[in-house]
Amino acid sequence: MTVTADARRTRPTSLRGIVLAAAAAALVVVAVVSLFAGSKATGVADVLTALGGGGDAFTREVVAARIPRTVLGMLVGGALAVAGVIVQGVTRNPLGDPGLLGVTVGASAAVVTAVALFDATGGALVLAALPGALLAALLVVAIGARSRGMVTLILAGAALSAVLGAYIQAMTLLQPKVFDSFRHWVVGSLAGRGLDTAAQVAPLLVLGFVLAIVLAPGLNSLALGEDVAAAQGVHVQRVRWGGIGAAALLCAAATAAVGPIAFVGLAVPHVARALVGPDHRWQLPAALLLGAGMLLAADIVARVIARPGELMVGIVTAFVGAPFLLVAVRRGKALS
Amino acid sequence: MTGTTATRPARSPVRHGHRARRSRRVVIALLALLLIAAVATLTLGRLGIPLSELPAALLTGSTGKTAFVLERLRGPRLLAAAGVGAALGLAGALFQTVTRNPLGSPDMVGLASGAGAGVALCTLFAPAVPAPVGAVAGGAIALAVVWLATGRGFSSPGRVLVAGIAVTAMAAAVTQYAVSVVLRDQGSQLAAYLVGSLNSTGVTDVAVIALTLALVVPAAALLRHRIAVLELGDDVADGLGAASGRTRTAAIVVSLVAASGAVAVAGPISFVALTAPPIARMLVGRSGANLAVSAIAGALIVVLADLAVQQVGVLSGLPVGVLTAAVGGGYLGVLLVSRLRRGRL
Repeated sequence: MTVTADARRTRPTSLRGIVLAAAAAALVVVAVVSLFAGSKATGVADVLTALGGGGDAFTREVVAARIPRTVLGMLVGGALAVAGVIVQGVTRNPLGDPGLLGVTVGASAAVVTAVALFDATGGALVLAALPGALLAALLVVAIGARSRGMVTLILAGAALSAVLGAYIQAMTLLQPKVFDSFRHWVVGSLAGRGLDTAAQVAPLLVLGFVLAIVLAPGLNSLALGEDVAAAQGVHVQRVRWGGIGAAALLCAAATAAVGPIAFVGLAVPHVARALVGPDHRWQLPAALLLGAGMLLAADIVARVIARPGELMVGIVTAFVGAPFLLVAVRRGKALS
Repeated sequence: MTGTTATRPARSPVRHGHRARRSRRVVIALLALLLIAAVATLTLGRLGIPLSELPAALLTGSTGKTAFVLERLRGPRLLAAAGVGAALGLAGALFQTVTRNPLGSPDMVGLASGAGAGVALCTLFAPAVPAPVGAVAGGAIALAVVWLATGRGFSSPGRVLVAGIAVTAMAAAVTQYAVSVVLRDQGSQLAAYLVGSLNSTGVTDVAVIALTLALVVPAAALLRHRIAVLELGDDVADGLGAASGRTRTAAIVVSLVAASGAVAVAGPISFVALTAPPIARMLVGRSGANLAVSAIAGALIVVLADLAVQQVGVLSGLPVGVLTAAVGGGYLGVLLVSRLRRGRL
């Protein structure tokens, strides 16, 4: 392991550039495929005609519905992966997942409340989930920030998850209409979301991405340990809580847009690290491209695997991400 | 497990003296509380058996409404609640001690979520299969995957927990999918089961949990000295002849059998296995497994929670698992705040 780790550290910049370019190319390919593939089989020629504004109305509808789905898939996948890189870097825990900030349960609880009180549907659910997710993350971070270590943060997330989880269960069991909305929302899915959803969450995503890029050098220092980072003149607490804030923004926006999606935030950072090495200035863009590509690829699989119906992308990511984790366990990577 | 006196680990000295007496007093106090809770369960509410009639009904038998309530309705439910709680408390104590993780519980290795997925798949594809069978099969598959994935069985706690996260995620995805595609009423029933409920327990359930306890309690009693030695560290334990790897695996297997019995009867009731051991530790004032106290504390928690969902207006009809999750989560929060105050985090 040490040999490969050293090899990674000395990986030349040109090679990392090639990797990034390849990831970008792969993303473009996946995005194009995403326009052509779906539960309704459409020929290449049909899609091209439809994109040009011709062909029959139904095919035009189908292809038009795939465009926002593709955009949203890329945004959400990239956001979750970048959030994962940050959380894993800040907590120095290779199994860190943005979900541990309480974002998922916060969004879920808000959705449940919105349906119970206002019969909210569609876009209103996004508007409800967003503050719910942010509030939950804020609460977890506020408790977590009271101690220097990361254990408090993780425990606070777990406690909030349990309490809100019970609230969600009680509400869904007592009110059939809440149950009916929630059971569909809680399986993250890109189906039926429009460009307006993307527009609703875009400002937060941009803010999160910018913060992440600004913090990248600080995250590199933090990876060497708090003391080393402090000795290098890095403001440890600022990097740490700035990073957590960026991850919370990204993950909250993603979850609000499409519902909870497992494992992209956990698994993609590992792939990015394996490809471009530990430097966050490379890891973050790599994770962005890979996360976008992987979520989109998972969504394509979800669309075609159960024709004429489709699966939800959240199910596919769980079944792709979890075996990845099992293999990591088997190899004993970073685990005792 | 040779069992000869030469290899038998020495008794830990802290087992003796006033700590042991305190432990005994705690057991008696908890049993008394359990008895009070049990009497309350049988007597309160519209269908309750009047307190004056209860001794006669228990001792000499009963007829009519009293017999129905005692033998069909509240009696089995009470016994199932106590049995499930005891099994979970024991499971949690074993698991937390040998994995040295105060936040560990059998839920974390995917047992509960695997059970949920098993039931969900049965609902989708094989409605004829009874839910408990699906639950145990699903839980067993989840455990088997974890076992295989770690590459060295259950002897490495870190690997077990991580593999558990992965298996839990897959099982949760299956369950959510099933809940989202079935009819609403069916989904609602499924969701209620998945929280852990004692709403429709019968005599069979009591038999299942009794059998489980008959298996795991003696096994835990046999293991308890080795587990105590394990706490001194793996090297010390190996030196004293309590083969650490085998002891750990055995304890986890016993823990999982106990938890599986509980899941089969009540579905995955969360947080009991997690909270009973630290409560026991707090009451006894001693580190270590505290297996008996933990089991009784678990029984008391579930009986009280079930009493609350039966008798408290706002909660009525909710599955008992909702309450244990809410209280358990709150407990975790309190634990956190108190540790923060004392500056131990």
